[in-house]
Amino acid sequence: MLDIRLEGKAPIYEQLYNGVARLISSGRLAPDEKLPAVREVAKQLGVNPNTVQKAYAQLEQAGLIYSMPAKGSYVSPEIHAASAIRAEAIRRLEVAFADAISSGVSKEEVINIAEKIWSDDRNGGNS
Amino acid sequence: MIEIKNAVMRFEDSNALDGVDIVIPEGCAYGLLGSNGAGKSTLLRLLSGIYRPFSGEVLIDGQPVYNNVPIKEKVFFINDETIQFNDMTLSDMRAYYKRFYSSFDDALFEKLHSTIGLPMKKRLTTFSKGMKRQAAVICGIACKTPYLFLDEAFDGLDPTMRIIVKQMLIDAMLDNDLTVIFSSHNLNEIDEFCDRVGLMHAGKVVFDRELDNVKGSVVKIQTAFDRPVTREDFSGFELLHLESTGSVTHIIAKGDRETIRSSINALSPKLYDEVPLSLEEIFIYEMEVLGYDSSKLDR
Repeated sequence: MLDIRLEGKAPIYEQLYNGVARLISSGRLAPDEKLPAVREVAKQLGVNPNTVQKAYAQLEQAGLIYSMPAKGSYVSPEIHAASAIRAEAIRRLEVAFADAISSGVSKEEVINIAEKIWSDDRNGGNS
Repeated sequence: MIEIKNAVMRFEDSNALDGVDIVIPEGCAYGLLGSNGAGKSTLLRLLSGIYRPFSGEVLIDGQPVYNNVPIKEKVFFINDETIQFNDMTLSDMRAYYKRFYSSFDDALFEKLHSTIGLPMKKRLTTFSKGMKRQAAVICGIACKTPYLFLDEAFDGLDPTMRIIVKQMLIDAMLDNDLTVIFSSHNLNEIDEFCDRVGLMHAGKVVFDRELDNVKGSVVKIQTAFDRPVTREDFSGFELLHLESTGSVTHIIAKGDRETIRSSINALSPKLYDEVPLSLEEIFIYEMEVLGYDSSKLDR
């Protein structure tokens, strides 16, 4: 089972991609760990198997996972692939902060928001 | 592959289909949306060979469907009406389909039936609407046709049964490369499951797109400027809708997210808030752009 919930309005393959990428970059999926089969993920989430396949293909293209013919998909052992995800997350964070500051959001507000999201995630997540 | 080319279907003096063009690749899950009377069922009946098109072409694997037994054997149509089976039992229904479809898989039927557990020896007239629908669904999947059409198929099913049916379809898609068309007037019902969606209105296909390209392609932006703005102020993206109330301006924009953002930021807004739209909202705005009054659509 993948610990992914579908919500929000983004395309489903994108949500799947981001969900798996996060599980990898946070270490909840270990290097060389086997990912659930496309069929299993599609059934678990009630989504089209083509969509799951598409997300897996893109994860593979990004170097986050690799596949073994007739065996399945595995988490890539190369950490730099996962750290690329972290780097991208940090980049987006910087853009968002710059945006907020230029729109007049104060430093205290930014810190409060960060702390709130941090504690919500800790309380609401599985970690 | 399914190819519908300029199909027209006429009943008495009105056109039920008024020049429909759709191509559906193999293995696709296609959602056919539209209000009652839009032409969805007519289209599925044409694809099942029940009707002959008045003009135009309706092809499956390159061949016309009407009066074509080898092609009709590749198609299973789960209809709104199961009246013709009222005097049969599920066991009779299975025998009936087995005669017509040489691909009928007994082991698969047993497996599907054991998941749902309907009485085999009772007449269908004693079944509820949902039970009849389940009977038709397991027969349809057990026939293992490469094409399966479901007309308002999720209507009579409770949420648990919907999940079970979806899971059956997922297996069929992976095992047999099934191409499936769902018709529905409820977008949310089929949203998660479809690769492509076609929206019908008054016998025409208003649009026909890959879902991943639709979602996320349109955003709603709440913004405020220190001067009045008009459509001419914005460039680089498609502006679907612009509305100002007091100092706040609402924009519905289509295009690349970054381009939209930088284009609006160039006007130094005092406020910028981006909200992604649901598929339903996107359809409504796009319909408006095409000149359809979305309030007339059954949502």
